[in-house]
Amino acid sequence: MLQLIVAGLTVGSTYALVALGIHIVLRATRVINFAQGEFVILGGLLAFTVVNQLHQNVWVGLLAATVGGFLIGLIYERIVLRPAARISELTVTIATIGTVSVLLYGHAMLWGSLPEPLPAFLPGDSYHLGGVSIQRQSIAILVLLALALAALYAFFERTTFGKAIRAAANDPLGARLVGIDVDRARAISVAISIALAAFAGTIIGPLTLVGGAAGTAITIKGFVGAIVGGLESPVACALGGLLVGVAQKLIEGQFSYGVADPAVYTLLLVMLLLRPRGLLGARAVTRD
Amino acid sequence: MPILAVAFVAFGLAFGGNATLMEAGTYSLIFSIATIGLSVLLGRVAQISVGQAGFFAIGAYAVGYLTALATWPPGVPAWVQYVLATLAGVACATILGLVVGFISLRFRGHYLAITTLTFNLIVIGIIHESKPLGGVDGISNVPYPQFGSLQISGTVTYWYVLAIVVALAALTWRMLASRTGRAFEAIRNDELAAEVAGVPTRRYKILAFAYSGALAGLAGTIYVSYLGLIVPDAVSVALSIDLLLMVVLGGTGSLAGAIIGAAAIGITNVYGHSLGNLRPVLYGVAVIAIVIVLPNGLVGLMPRFGRRTTAAKPGPVSLRPAIPAAAACDTPWLAVSGVTKRFGGLVAVDDVTFTLQNGTLTSLIGPNGAGKTTLFNAICGIGRIDAGTVRIRGVDVARYQTHRIVALGVARSFQNARLFGDMTVLENVVTGAYASRHFTFDDATATLRILGIEQLASTFAKDLAFGDRRRVELARALAGNPQLLLLDEPAAGLNASERDRLRDDLVAIRAAGITILLIEHDMRLVMEISDRVMVLNFGRLIADGRPANVQSDEAVVAAYLGVAS
Repeated sequence: MLQLIVAGLTVGSTYALVALGIHIVLRATRVINFAQGEFVILGGLLAFTVVNQLHQNVWVGLLAATVGGFLIGLIYERIVLRPAARISELTVTIATIGTVSVLLYGHAMLWGSLPEPLPAFLPGDSYHLGGVSIQRQSIAILVLLALALAALYAFFERTTFGKAIRAAANDPLGARLVGIDVDRARAISVAISIALAAFAGTIIGPLTLVGGAAGTAITIKGFVGAIVGGLESPVACALGGLLVGVAQKLIEGQFSYGVADPAVYTLLLVMLLLRPRGLLGARAVTRD
Repeated sequence: MPILAVAFVAFGLAFGGNATLMEAGTYSLIFSIATIGLSVLLGRVAQISVGQAGFFAIGAYAVGYLTALATWPPGVPAWVQYVLATLAGVACATILGLVVGFISLRFRGHYLAITTLTFNLIVIGIIHESKPLGGVDGISNVPYPQFGSLQISGTVTYWYVLAIVVALAALTWRMLASRTGRAFEAIRNDELAAEVAGVPTRRYKILAFAYSGALAGLAGTIYVSYLGLIVPDAVSVALSIDLLLMVVLGGTGSLAGAIIGAAAIGITNVYGHSLGNLRPVLYGVAVIAIVIVLPNGLVGLMPRFGRRTTAAKPGPVSLRPAIPAAAACDTPWLAVSGVTKRFGGLVAVDDVTFTLQNGTLTSLIGPNGAGKTTLFNAICGIGRIDAGTVRIRGVDVARYQTHRIVALGVARSFQNARLFGDMTVLENVVTGAYASRHFTFDDATATLRILGIEQLASTFAKDLAFGDRRRVELARALAGNPQLLLLDEPAAGLNASERDRLRDDLVAIRAAGITILLIEHDMRLVMEISDRVMVLNFGRLIADGRPANVQSDEAVVAAYLGVAS
């Protein structure tokens, strides 16, 4: 049981980062990025290239994937999201769905369709705690997740630029009037979100392999996390993502591997219908 | 459309011997059945679905299972099995379409995309796990449909599907040209205004989902018996995305576009195998490029033929028809009692009670933010009220959806004249009378004549000058033959002569016995024509009486001028 929970937290950290990425893009551009999960895969593959083909340290791979994700995010915002946003919300939605197709098969073209392994961040034996063995890798993932969350918090809450981005997201017109470059703020938001996705794809890589066609499933599970926690709050998104990971592993452990995914998706529909603001979001609503 | 049908017939005759081309043509036609449904949903009702492969899967698996695996009672001929299996598949897809449509009422835009995508994933997940359906391996050896000595396979399938597509295109075209099509168009343009015009918007959105689901399911049933095989991977989200791509590529909302898009992708699917993964990458790039650069798709490149509009014969102004007289009625048309509406901590409408005397014109005035429009919304059933009752001709409408309130004989206009921009003036007016089934274009022309704007009949609403927009909105409100007319600042932004015309119209409407409740800031107009004036301030009624009395009321003067007490 505890074993499953730890495993769940580990995969859940990807969902948490995806949920957070979806949250950031949604806040900044009012759009849900359907390609978020594909960018997770892309990040893992970038790291794979740097580590296994350019023979660099895995930490260099993580850095390269994150920076690469940031740059790709800038390009993505500039050539896909921004032009589409000028037409309609539906157009952006369709454009991000088109991006899924580009990335999904683009990955397969460049890297082949079979998943590839990444070396561990913390090599060595598992820890044993009262009959539960915890892989060092799981610890590394959770620590890295915590670091990413702390960095995001510091950026959005403690720096002027981070606050400007939040202002631009909350009230674009008002932000423009006080001299904030809203387009730039949006571009940076998207870039941060994609960098997070790439980061997530890399840290989970040693456990789950990188590449393959799991992108859409990751997007949806990240979205389930965001909805379960509450789309409006970054902390709720992260917690929701972890929760979905744990739920998935518990269902896999109790029933069978194949049941978990449909069950998690059904959870999404139920949440959307009953508590669209999330388990944690509901409190914020009654407060005002 | 007829050109397209001829093209497909010519294609079939010319390349009947070329197996690869016939295969491409057949797949194109099979997919176009699904894209016709999706195009209606996406283009005409502006509801996105990224889950059409789920419906497709249900149709395909129903026929696959029932014709290849299920045990039928002895003596049931193969063709009966096929027909029943097809009906079962389409029925299941339709029912699921209703369910998804119902769920989707809660969502818009990207939430809808997520919901439908999730539906697709759930269907695939269940199929994967279900042993009777073959799990990952799917169902193979699905027999070809056999009608006597005629086997629907190979080239025969091409003609069989072509016949179905032509029939469905004709059916869909008729639907879109009818009252249903106007309802769709109105919903796409402005959902709230459509509901207020009496269109049951929820029902139509569910209908559109069910229709698109049924067609996707039908496409699945034909697909499985043509290929003889169905596996879960064939009906994954990738197919949903492909179908969406076909619609967007051809031209969203256009029937010809749906078929052209399916043909374009169907042909590249067969011929693009050598491209491997590059093919779907290019598809994705094409989708992004098309939605941004060419929002009307491939059909947008072709010259548009003049749209069918019913031209109105302008009649001399002196021959203006009379406004239909209101039915005599003893029960008050509108009685509001203790109505309260809160937004969070703000009480927008606070315990408001009044009854209108039938056939009179009452003005509702008050400073901006006093709650006037919120009160209108409460009367129309837009958003639930927190306390109190609204009675329309004695009927408590607490649990009524807006279109049902409208059907009782209520019409309203909006502060910002919410017309259906992509529809002509005449179509706008016809839609305004949605609730009365027998309202014709001639009746709409008559309504335009009453207001002296019949010359605008074939103008698109989005091209109207501001003053005309207001008049057309009034015409749309009158078209439904309302007994109670709620007008939200109809004079705002009008010039002096337009304003005088409005005054005369309002007097004429009242003379016909129609009860009017008017929100207006133009005090001269209000004082000239009102039988009674009510003043709302901070959500409360602070004065109510004859215009002259209200004008001299101290509380009213204070509310408007902010006099220190």
